[in-house]
Amino acid sequence: MGTISSAFSMMSQALDADQAALNIVANNVANANTTGYTEETPNWQENEPIEIDGVSYGAGVTDTGATSVRNSVLVARLDQQQQLASASASRLTALDTIQTLFTPDSGSSSSTAGDIGSDITSFFSSLSSLEANPTVSSDRQAVLSAAKTLAGDISNAADSLNSQRSALDQEAAGTTSQVNSLTTAIAQLNQQIQSSSPDADAGTLEDQRSEDVSQLSKLIGINQVTTENNGLSITTTSGQLLVSEGSSYQLTTGTVDGVTDFFLGGTDITSQLASGGGSLGGYLTARDVDIPSALSSLDQLAYSISTSVNKQNNAGTDLDGDNGNAGNIFSEPTAVAGSAASMSVVMTDPNHIAAAGLGDGTGDNSNAIAMADLANQAIVDGETPSNFYSNFVSALGSTVSGVQTENTAQNASVTQLQTQNSAISGVNLNDEASSMTTLERSYQAASQVFTMLNTIMASALNLGDQTSVS
Amino acid sequence: MEQIGERRRHAQMKDLVAEASRALARLDADRLEELALSCQALNRALPPASEEEGRLLAAEARDATGEMAVFRRVLEATRANLNVMNRLRELRAGRLEYGGQPGRGWSGTESGHGDN
Repeated sequence: MGTISSAFSMMSQALDADQAALNIVANNVANANTTGYTEETPNWQENEPIEIDGVSYGAGVTDTGATSVRNSVLVARLDQQQQLASASASRLTALDTIQTLFTPDSGSSSSTAGDIGSDITSFFSSLSSLEANPTVSSDRQAVLSAAKTLAGDISNAADSLNSQRSALDQEAAGTTSQVNSLTTAIAQLNQQIQSSSPDADAGTLEDQRSEDVSQLSKLIGINQVTTENNGLSITTTSGQLLVSEGSSYQLTTGTVDGVTDFFLGGTDITSQLASGGGSLGGYLTARDVDIPSALSSLDQLAYSISTSVNKQNNAGTDLDGDNGNAGNIFSEPTAVAGSAASMSVVMTDPNHIAAAGLGDGTGDNSNAIAMADLANQAIVDGETPSNFYSNFVSALGSTVSGVQTENTAQNASVTQLQTQNSAISGVNLNDEASSMTTLERSYQAASQVFTMLNTIMASALNLGDQTSVS
Repeated sequence: MEQIGERRRHAQMKDLVAEASRALARLDADRLEELALSCQALNRALPPASEEEGRLLAAEARDATGEMAVFRRVLEATRANLNVMNRLRELRAGRLEYGGQPGRGWSGTESGHGDN
């Protein structure tokens, strides 16, 4: 119960953080467009005052382009939500692939990365079996065989993760040309719009530009700034200029530490793009955060098992009578990084397994007991090997679940905005009022549902606590 | 408790929460209001009479935590969308540009001068 309560609490905290970010986005959109609205004065034309007997009457305004203004705000919001949804969708695809890699495949006869958990158990069980028969050759061979399976599965998992990282790297690099072609097109459209209709809606040209911006926002996170004469400037979410009216700035790539980095005007903006949104943001987050995190855990696991088992084997006596120098079972890693990919079994002769304690004779089993007991010791980052692996898989599952939640909510938000947008695009005030009423009613009813469900669930979880205690 | 048992036979709590998320995504206000009434009824039926009933409800609640997280997130996204739409409505009404100064419009100007 405590675990479930903790998980729920962690989830809530993560969502609070997400919500804070979402509110910032919402405020940014609203405020950005307030400024834009003031600058787009031509959309709101001030009436000529009428003078009667020297007194000026009327300083009202005529709404000449309110529809366009309204849509641009809504479309900007839609673009913002779409770029978040694109980012979580591409990250989720990558995470699903990683998770599949570590899902146990009980129906397959061949060992896979998903079997690492059972491989760990099997390896230490084989050492336990050796305790009973320290001199029996088949039991010694079984230890090496289990070690090979474990090393092979960890090594294959690392290879698969590295392959997936390369594939994501290529996907990410491939978006560069699409981004550049869109920013070039937007800059050209800016020029056409500014020269042909600086004071009015440019119709089809603006539709094209809006569509290109929408496509661009699915690829990378952007901010839009309306400029004079119907112009549009676009920056990345971290502020690097992509389009300034008639000029566009090309994104370039280069290889840094074996992966593709992204540059704008000579500045490496890879990390900013990763957190910025769009499918590129999702690819980069998976490539630079999720996969390295999984690899790091595997490296830690491989390093700790290899070094601990090797050290213990060299602290005993093997069947040939070698005292304290029986040799390594696994290849000895020199550093944690890369340990998983290079993990292998170097011992070929099962007689070199040091089952006996130092000076206790070759028929002794005390060192086999010590090696088997490594399964119960906190040798991997303060945890037993099995617990470490189990927590790694569990954390991966939580990450996938969190991104899935985010993606579902963002898609729902996009659907809502599209509904609102189509209601407004009819430029029918009755439709607009009805649409707003529906939105407000839905929100209020949903708030009631949420509040009550939250209360019911809190009560129910407490019931579970009491039940489990009693 | 009959009510809880009856409801459970029809829909698990996680289904109820998932249905609420879907209804909110498509802005189905009628369905959401029905769900709110259902939740009120469920809330009235608490606490369960038996330990077994409580255990089942706790298990349902645990199962539904993921769906609840999604629902919460959709609700917050809706609130942000509602904020934007209200902002648009204010824009439409011209309050942002001319907020607090209705006298600048035609009617205000004329009545202000008492010359109509």
